[in-house]
Amino acid sequence: MDFRPENDSVPPVNDGPKTATSQPGRAPEEDWSVLMARAQQGDAASYRRLLQSLTPYLRALAHRFGLSGADLEDGVQDVLLTVHSIRHTYDPTRPFAPWLTAVARHRLLDRLRRRARQTGRETELTEAHETFASPETNHPELAGEAARLQAAIASLPEGQRRAVEMLKLKEMSLKEAAQASGQSETALKVSVHRAIKRLRGLLGGS
Amino acid sequence: MAATDQLIETLSDKLQPVQPLRKPGLRAALWSGFATLVIALVAMVGGSRADLAHAVTEASFLVPLIGSWLTGFTAALAAFHVSLPDRSRRWLWLPVVPVLLWGTDFAYTCFVNWSDLAGSLALLPESACLMTILATSAGLTVVLLPMLRRVKTLRPGLTAWLGGLAVAGFADTAHLLVHTEQDSLLALTVNLVPAVGLIVFGGLAGRRAV
Repeated sequence: MDFRPENDSVPPVNDGPKTATSQPGRAPEEDWSVLMARAQQGDAASYRRLLQSLTPYLRALAHRFGLSGADLEDGVQDVLLTVHSIRHTYDPTRPFAPWLTAVARHRLLDRLRRRARQTGRETELTEAHETFASPETNHPELAGEAARLQAAIASLPEGQRRAVEMLKLKEMSLKEAAQASGQSETALKVSVHRAIKRLRGLLGGS
Repeated sequence: MAATDQLIETLSDKLQPVQPLRKPGLRAALWSGFATLVIALVAMVGGSRADLAHAVTEASFLVPLIGSWLTGFTAALAAFHVSLPDRSRRWLWLPVVPVLLWGTDFAYTCFVNWSDLAGSLALLPESACLMTILATSAGLTVVLLPMLRRVKTLRPGLTAWLGGLAVAGFADTAHLLVHTEQDSLLALTVNLVPAVGLIVFGGLAGRRAV
């Protein structure tokens, strides 16, 4: 009794002639079987050749599983590590490709399941969620243009600075600002107008 | 890609020779041979049932006996196959017929004496039969577990369930040879409940162990 392994959703590994030259995405099964048998005996050079020739095929397989970028490369490395740790389970009298494909399929599906679980549980962070160890990095207003603007406002005469703060930064109405400062609405308007003109000059605007 | 190349270099540099696993059939035969020896030992130490010579002429004894042994063997064979990455999950179905043979007697007894089942279950903790089953199971598990662990299987769940079934089958073979229950429902409970317990325990705890 010898059941063939199931091949769910995995493309055929090698349906062409077994040759000594390898093609990307295809498995030169005969070569791989021989190289793995030698690797089991401790031949490091054969093992290096085997892993190097497996890698393009594994990348193609991982791509078919929907992996890309760093995730794809992590998946390939995961498969290589598993191949290494269970290389004693390969029977040199049997074809290598089904063994490799089964190992790769297990590992890549595990990765996909793990990713699906993580994306189901996690919410992507927006800029508002970000926080950093250094306090300055949590205050973007201290950096770049905002910092220059703050410095320019600070350099304004007292009356103009207060008028800008109340009417532009705190967005108070003229009436509210007049009540808060004790100045007339006209005086506040003039102060803001002069302040903005001066700020344009300080910041190099037109 | 540089990291993958680096990984290949590291794995190649650290390569050690490994002994490929023996064929699953040979490993299952070796373990089943050991299990049969344990069963014989248990029968010798515990004393085989007094009516053994008569019982072996009756189908009601022989069918569950052969069924339980075959369950142990086929479940072990399936476990060793399924534990390998390139073997089909369809090996899982191999023990089905032996399990049916093994369970025929249980099913019949249960059907005939359903109303007394609860009373028989209450007698279970007092039964010395449990010791036979537990001792046999422990001996078999001690050998089976390292054999399965060596595979570092990618299907720990299936492998563990089949391992639990294999141990339960052989343990019940020993039990059938040693003990005679006058009460058929007691026979049912001391056979069925520990068997189910072993399979469930093997499946749940063994999943992490293998």
